[in-house]
Amino acid sequence: MAPVVQCMGLTKTYGRKIALNQVYLNLERGRIIGLLGPNGSGKTTLIKIMNGLLKPTAGEVLINGQRPGIDTKLRISYLPERTYLQPGMKVLELVQYFQDFYPDFRVDRAFDMLARLQIPPQERLKNLSKGTKEKVQLIMVMSRDADLYILDEPIAGVDPAARDYILHTIVNNYNRCGSILLSTHLISDVENILDEVVFIKYGSIVLQAGAEQIRQNERKSVDQFFREVFAC
Amino acid sequence: MLGKLMKYEWKATWKLLLSANLLTVVMTGLARWMVYLMDKAPYSSDFQMVDFVAVMVLFTYVASMFAVYVGTAIYLIHRFYTSTYGDQGYLLHTLPVDTHHIIIAKVLVSVLWVMMNSLIIYFSVIFLFATSTETIKSMMDGLVSTIEYLGSEEISVFMVIMTFIAYIFTLFAKVLKVGACISLGQLSSNHKLMLSFAWYIGIYIVESMFQGMYFAISSTIYRQASSIDYLTGFGTNWETTLISGIFSCVIFYILTWYVMDRKLNLD
Repeated sequence: MAPVVQCMGLTKTYGRKIALNQVYLNLERGRIIGLLGPNGSGKTTLIKIMNGLLKPTAGEVLINGQRPGIDTKLRISYLPERTYLQPGMKVLELVQYFQDFYPDFRVDRAFDMLARLQIPPQERLKNLSKGTKEKVQLIMVMSRDADLYILDEPIAGVDPAARDYILHTIVNNYNRCGSILLSTHLISDVENILDEVVFIKYGSIVLQAGAEQIRQNERKSVDQFFREVFAC
Repeated sequence: MLGKLMKYEWKATWKLLLSANLLTVVMTGLARWMVYLMDKAPYSSDFQMVDFVAVMVLFTYVASMFAVYVGTAIYLIHRFYTSTYGDQGYLLHTLPVDTHHIIIAKVLVSVLWVMMNSLIIYFSVIFLFATSTETIKSMMDGLVSTIEYLGSEEISVFMVIMTFIAYIFTLFAKVLKVGACISLGQLSSNHKLMLSFAWYIGIYIVESMFQGMYFAISSTIYRQASSIDYLTGFGTNWETTLISGIFSCVIFYILTWYVMDRKLNLD
């Protein structure tokens, strides 16, 4: 079976600035992959190109063997780094929205997660705290049976207790046949759930390896190894 | 998916815009009541309290009409920008839907609101001044003779229908023009809004040039358009309006689609 993601010479420039430089990357199915790199390394640019929100300057990305488009959007569940919700919407309306557009959306799973967090479906999103809004957004994304979950900085800017909840939600609700691409620079928090890591630096992939492989070969945690690789 | 997109576009806009239109209806009722009170009040050469209140209400009525019309346009432009190229665009553009459907849904709902606004204002003015059947008849006669004068020909049902169709296309073209300018502004990495304004001004200048050329040519060849016609833009007939409306719709639609589908650049 073809990899879920194939990047072939992917390049993105903004004027003279190179955001992505000749990225070649294959991501296999059924794995939780950490896309790790410091701020400004090109993580979000790569993710946006995969989602069709940015067009590459050169090269190509294939999702399930297809270029980003309607078919790939049906199979990717994407959590951006920002809130994309309409403030005037009720939580219930948001559930209906996702149900209307995504055939793989599981309403029962969404309501189950909302109930566990005691988020009332009738509440308007504008009345929720920033952290709760982020959780609602995560619930929507993880309630789909997607082939690829792309989560951009899902734990940035939240307290440690919320981080645990978010990671717990991710690990317990994703489609086991699919993969998760999780972008973050908070390595120590996510290290334990990762099967594989991709290090990205100045828009180039500098390492792709199994998390366990790094721990065995380098005799240090992924977080320690990351600090070594990205030391200023 | 087009139906679903339209449903959510409608849901996102109806509360505020319907409230604005209801305000117009309420203000029309108040203004009409004031006109009635002024009619019934015994004649006096002095400026009385009822005159003062009536003037204030009528002034507020006109101001509210203007505010609702302009406010609706600003709200729809803001809505287009934030939901397409702002944070909400991250959800919109990751939905498994065709870009054509996104544009059509937004444009159709916007045109529907602008038309509803125009109709309510139109009927509001008629309701305000039509105090008797004679007044209504004289207003209609005035409208017909104005159209006949502007068109320089007899009014027919066909002409009315075609003028209405031309008006609809012009409305679509105006909405699509705003969408195209906002979209073209996204081609820049910085100052996207400023670039959108610049595109709007640039397109306005080009349109004015074409309009000027049209009147210059038509006045030279046919000796029909006077200088007053040229200045007011009244020299156009429905054929010209229809053709330019369709042409503008096609151009602005293609530009919007091209940027949204081929050059999307959400920062």
